[in-house]
Amino acid sequence: MRRILSSITDGKGFDLIMVGVTMLFLFALAGVPLVYNVVMSFQQVDMFNLNTFSRPFAGFENYVAIVSQPEFWLVIRNTAIFVFGSIAGQFIFGFALAIFFMLSFPFASTIRGLFLVSWVMPGLVVGALWGWILAGDFGVLNAILRGLGIIDGTMFWKSDPNLSIWAVTIANIWLGLAFNMMLLSVGLAGIPRDLYEAAELDGANGWQRFTTITLPMMRSTIGAVLALGLIYTLQQFDLFPAITEGGPANSSNVAQYWAWQWSFQLFDFAKGATVSMMMVIFVLIASIVYVRSTRHEVRG
Amino acid sequence: MHFTKVGLLAGLALGALVAATPAQAQEDVTITVWSIDGANQVGPSDTFSAEFDEMDNGINVEYRILQFDEIVNETLRAYATGNAPDIVSLDNPDFALFSSRGAFLDITEMAAESDVINPEVYFEGPLNSVSWDGKLYGVGKYTDTIGVFYNKDMFAEAGIENPPQTWAEFEEYARMLAKPDQGIYGATLSARGNEEGTFQFLPVIQMSGGGYDNVNTEGAREWLSMVKGMIDDGVLSQDVLSLGQWDSTGTFNSGNAAMAISGPWEIDRMVEDADFDWGVTLLPTFGEGDERSSALGGFNLGIMSTTEHPEEAFKVLEYFVSQDDRLFPEFGYLPTRSDVELPLSGIEKKDAALAVFQEQLQYAQPRGPHPEWQKISKAIYDAEQAALTGQMTPDEALSQAQATIDTILN
Repeated sequence: MRRILSSITDGKGFDLIMVGVTMLFLFALAGVPLVYNVVMSFQQVDMFNLNTFSRPFAGFENYVAIVSQPEFWLVIRNTAIFVFGSIAGQFIFGFALAIFFMLSFPFASTIRGLFLVSWVMPGLVVGALWGWILAGDFGVLNAILRGLGIIDGTMFWKSDPNLSIWAVTIANIWLGLAFNMMLLSVGLAGIPRDLYEAAELDGANGWQRFTTITLPMMRSTIGAVLALGLIYTLQQFDLFPAITEGGPANSSNVAQYWAWQWSFQLFDFAKGATVSMMMVIFVLIASIVYVRSTRHEVRG
Repeated sequence: MHFTKVGLLAGLALGALVAATPAQAQEDVTITVWSIDGANQVGPSDTFSAEFDEMDNGINVEYRILQFDEIVNETLRAYATGNAPDIVSLDNPDFALFSSRGAFLDITEMAAESDVINPEVYFEGPLNSVSWDGKLYGVGKYTDTIGVFYNKDMFAEAGIENPPQTWAEFEEYARMLAKPDQGIYGATLSARGNEEGTFQFLPVIQMSGGGYDNVNTEGAREWLSMVKGMIDDGVLSQDVLSLGQWDSTGTFNSGNAAMAISGPWEIDRMVEDADFDWGVTLLPTFGEGDERSSALGGFNLGIMSTTEHPEEAFKVLEYFVSQDDRLFPEFGYLPTRSDVELPLSGIEKKDAALAVFQEQLQYAQPRGPHPEWQKISKAIYDAEQAALTGQMTPDEALSQAQATIDTILN
């Protein structure tokens, strides 16, 4: 008895309890909803049988129905544009800004801190702001572009099917830029100065120093930033209702907004669950790629 | 230790007080009412709920304001978890989702015995939207429809005498009135990708001989081609695809569009904002003397079937209905029944507009009722948007919508 007690307060038992509590927490708050979602995607669900478990079994019907929707491939294409466009934009501009702020000039760190304002703001506020900036006839962006002589007519960012997904992507790049910059700045600050000094003595130019020192040293940071970027981009929801509502004609609809539309506009909860299951599978594949690509660093 | 004892006593005393309060008021029944009234401006449901609550009749009314976008979701969620309100007010096409599943209380017999609620005096459209399977599940709260607002000053300047009566005239006049160099469009409307898009497009389908079950009509195809042509030529703003009716009509009020398709909810703001002479005309038809149609908007009131106090809830409903004569003078809403006289406001433009909308209401047709209306509606506004953005031809877009609707209806 005493041995059990002492093991609980200090020993294997304590470890087990700690692990157990964490697992229980994960299971209750992530596992159960996930399993529930999987179950729903194989059932026929509407609001009137949502509070019971005995719903008609639908097999793969929901999956077949989703894939055969006329807008399915359009949504996939848009999701790809939004995810890769956002990540690429956030990363490239974030990296450029991070390097820029590594230069020591007056107020560098203060200004860098101010960039975080975009990250702190709620998505719906950012969405409303960009909604006004991107407005067609009276939008700020159009006025600027016209003033600079870049365009003649009016760019209908929110209503032109060729532009709408890019409109949301631009807003999302702005929203995530500061977060990328901050993480990358931390990575940059971790590279020892003397490496650069040594390289400089050996006659390496700026580009060579960037590709042979900065990039390899930043490998794990870059991996983390890109993985987090993927997760945040796939979670990004607020901008869609605030800017384009997925329109016009689904030309800016993405998987996460589509899932919401199925569940809360069309009240077909099973199909909403089905779309989110498809997203989960995609994120799972992406995480496996990420874990594999950074595996040797974890070991080393 | 002494301290805790005092605290314990105080706690006990407080507990006794709290326990005593409901005992005193045990006779009172509380009825909860949910509606969107009061979210943007003072409306009938919030006002009447407060008045009824003030009365000393043993029934309290607890009123909750919800946003337009949330009310169906909130009600569904509350119903599923057993916390539904007693009375809820829903947009008329959403009503069948609940009544068809027995989520609203069948009030056919209560209404038959009531001195206040008489189903026979209601307009056909609103009455249909609260009926399901021959039974009555609620009452219309107020109704609205759409017509064409036009800028009389611009019409006079261009030498056009009368507002458009056919869609051909609508296009002709819009093209005459558009001044792209001054940022003035010929007309504005809402082809937004939500219920508002269907609200404005379905009447076109209906007046060309179709309905929500038969959308691919020749007239609908023609109309889509016409509107697409106007967007391409800059006569309509491309933003009609993303603007709601309220924002779209805002451009008319500021003088940036010569005509606007919208409804009577605009009148009060237009009286304030528009510094030009304006009027309203009926929604155009395809040919002179052809069949008319218009959208039927407005909210309904129903008692949820889960209520514990059906009789008291019905009394609250009766009170709301008994105040119908105040809807127009106080809130600018049109009643859903024919036996309520609408007093003139004394504002010339408002009264003239009202007369047109009352005439238009005779042609207003409901959306549905169908328990899966939201899916049917999405098929319709998706088709409209696909055709107007040029992603599909009108025929392809409407055939696709028809195919989707057929799978829902069958």
